[in-house]
Amino acid sequence: MKTKKRIAWIVKILFWLIVITFFTWTIMNDMFRPIVEDFGEFTHLLGQHIIIVFISGLLAILISIPLGILVTRKSFQKSEFWIVNMANLGQTIPSLAVLALAMGFLGIGMKAAIVALFIYSLLPILQNTIAGIRSVDKNTIDAARGIGLTPFQILIKIELPNAASSIIAGIRTALVINIGTAALAYLIGGGGLGAWIFTGIRLFDNAFLISGAVPVTLLAILVDYFFKIMQQVLVPKGLRLAKK
Amino acid sequence: MEHVQLVGLAIIVSILIGVPLGVYLTTNEYLAESVLQIFSIIMTIPSIALFGVMIPILSTIGQGIGFLPAFIALVLYSQLPIIRNTYTGINEVDPNIRDAAKGLGMTTLQRLIKVEIPNAMPLIMAGVRTATVLNIGVGAIAAYIGAGGLGSLINQGISRSNTTMVLVGAVVVSILAIVVDQLLRYFEKRFTPKGI
Amino acid sequence: MLEFKNVSKIYNGNKKAVDHVNFNVDEGELVVLLGPSGCGKTTLLRMVNQLESITEGDIHLNNKSVKESNKIEMRRKIGYVIQSNGLFPNMTIEKNVMIVPDLLGWDRKKQLDRFNYLMELIGLHPDEYRKRYPHELSGGQQQRVGVARALAADPPVMLMDEPFGALDPIIRTKIQDEFLQIQKEIKKTILFVSHDIDEAVKMGDKIALFRDGQLQQYNHPFEILHRPANEFVSEFVGQDRVLKSTSLYSVKDLVDSVSLTGYQKAGSVQTVQEDTSLRIVISKLLNQEAEQLAVEDTKGKIKGILTLDLVEKFLYKQIKETPKRTG
Ligand SMILES: Nc1ncnc2c1ncn2[C@@H]1O[C@H](COP(=O)(O)OP(=O)(O)O)[C@@H](O)[C@H]1O
Ligand SMILES: [Mg+2]
Repeated sequence: MKTKKRIAWIVKILFWLIVITFFTWTIMNDMFRPIVEDFGEFTHLLGQHIIIVFISGLLAILISIPLGILVTRKSFQKSEFWIVNMANLGQTIPSLAVLALAMGFLGIGMKAAIVALFIYSLLPILQNTIAGIRSVDKNTIDAARGIGLTPFQILIKIELPNAASSIIAGIRTALVINIGTAALAYLIGGGGLGAWIFTGIRLFDNAFLISGAVPVTLLAILVDYFFKIMQQVLVPKGLRLAKK
Repeated sequence: MEHVQLVGLAIIVSILIGVPLGVYLTTNEYLAESVLQIFSIIMTIPSIALFGVMIPILSTIGQGIGFLPAFIALVLYSQLPIIRNTYTGINEVDPNIRDAAKGLGMTTLQRLIKVEIPNAMPLIMAGVRTATVLNIGVGAIAAYIGAGGLGSLINQGISRSNTTMVLVGAVVVSILAIVVDQLLRYFEKRFTPKGI
Repeated sequence: MLEFKNVSKIYNGNKKAVDHVNFNVDEGELVVLLGPSGCGKTTLLRMVNQLESITEGDIHLNNKSVKESNKIEMRRKIGYVIQSNGLFPNMTIEKNVMIVPDLLGWDRKKQLDRFNYLMELIGLHPDEYRKRYPHELSGGQQQRVGVARALAADPPVMLMDEPFGALDPIIRTKIQDEFLQIQKEIKKTILFVSHDIDEAVKMGDKIALFRDGQLQQYNHPFEILHRPANEFVSEFVGQDRVLKSTSLYSVKDLVDSVSLTGYQKAGSVQTVQEDTSLRIVISKLLNQEAEQLAVEDTKGKIKGILTLDLVEKFLYKQIKETPKRTG
């Protein structure tokens, strides 16, 4: 038991040592220079990046959750099968291809990037909303109907609280992918921190590479962590107990 | 084709690392937690950013651009789905089945090969499928760091403002991903032992 | 109170799940819908609160067709308990139990009193369980809470679909006893689905026995046991039906009908209370625990001696002499 725990700790410490070494190395080699020297440009690119992610993500949330709710209503049962399958299929398409397709149809610019990211974010949230609502025990719903809850009350009081964890997980997945894909938006003229990464690649300039890549990575990890916490906070206590 | 080669090679290596590691992790849940945590952090790193981080590191050994960073990135991304699914798959084998196997006098290794891995097979295959589809997408982006493949088509199309070329590249990559996904789903069903 | 008028149900144009069923349930009666699995009990029950539509015929509740009632309002006046309790996992026990009163807009004070009363009724301490969640309760406790929730808004009618079916035998027996006690106090009109003849005999004022959606016999448990209407009923109740019927009677019933052997204060004799089921008495006598038992009334006074011969005499009298009762 003790040795097992010790091995686990050693692996963890090794990982963090690598991370620390990496940061020490980049700082020693002055690789964050572009951020310091051109802070204005950095905040501009970061701002663009966040705006692309925020707008496309928010739109995706606002559309896919109601859509997921709609599709799981009784009268839409037939369309559910198709939508779930389409969401599955859509997520198989690589992100670069989605961006390229958006550019092919909408031309170059931030708008095309936002549209592409919006469509791409839609799918995991939609999928998780449907799965979350469907995972509610059928007997629970039956009991709710039997004691006289209206369909709307069942949705608000039973289905959504029970699906909350799954829906937030969908948002989490969507946003993390979204942040990464937004780094490619530069390719179709959408701006964002990808600008520095691709400049770095083109010019073989490690400083630009690191100054673009590290903030994007931190942004993704931060958002991921935030929603991980939200997932725990927003899930009703009774359901957390149920999982155990 | 460069793209298929890159992805194929990366997946084979990923399976060779991930499956044994996943199996090993079932003997130490603490380590499992740490390893899965680490790989899920790596999974969160956007692919272009991971390239961006790896190029400076690998350029110290003169391999900054090209096949190697792409290959390493693909293997890293594949680890989470493959390890996690192997680990869960084996952990979820019905304890009764495991007990029965013990009762029949099987050794740990026999149990693993004859009982546990076959029962975990559907999940392991699903992990491999997730990893492969993901890698096709990341492989396309790898064109920008000189790893070739279908991404180059999109890359060149964009820089020459050739919309047709961009669309063809995008469609071909998408079809590749979808076809591979469906194919692996089919194998997943075919190779699931009867009765599971 | 509740009238089934030529009720039929056909799912998707296929086989009839319920086939021209007619019977009435009086106020305050507990009627058990009994029959093998798949005979249409659940379907019939769910047509009452309109969770299933009625294909043909009609069901009247208080002289009003359930088809014409507002579904939501009607359901709030009908308690509903299902086998898998159907408690809402995201809500506390209090929220679960009080959901209908809450929807009906009861004030806080009234809800609180009602919750406390119901929890006492089902034998759970209100304050101890108020803030707990369903998953923190045992199966038996969850089922009790399910009953409390159904009773929350004091509905005159209750529908119970194999409410104790998922519990293990010992707990089931206990909850059955408790529920009979509760029913004595609340006097609801209850439809109670079961596939277990023993449970039906124990719980039911009347039993409606079904086969393939058709009503085979509707009568008091005694009649079902002793005067089965057809081959199917007699097979379903089993060859030990006389033995089963003994759980219908208490020692008191016997004392009222046949005279006990006189009691002499010689040696030690096991005693039984007057409210003990005859089934238990027989079991004790056969078990060689005792050849005779002394009957004790509520004040602890011995009324006389009970033997197997007397039980036999009593049962014979019941079967031969009870006037035929109809449902
Ligand atoms: N929703 C449904 N759709 C189609 N057939 C059903 C449905 N519900 C029940 N049935 C069928 O109707 C018959 C009666 O079912 P049910 O009322 O559940 O029986 P019981 O409760 O007595 O076991 C069965 O043959 C069952 O298969
Ligand atoms: Mg049933």
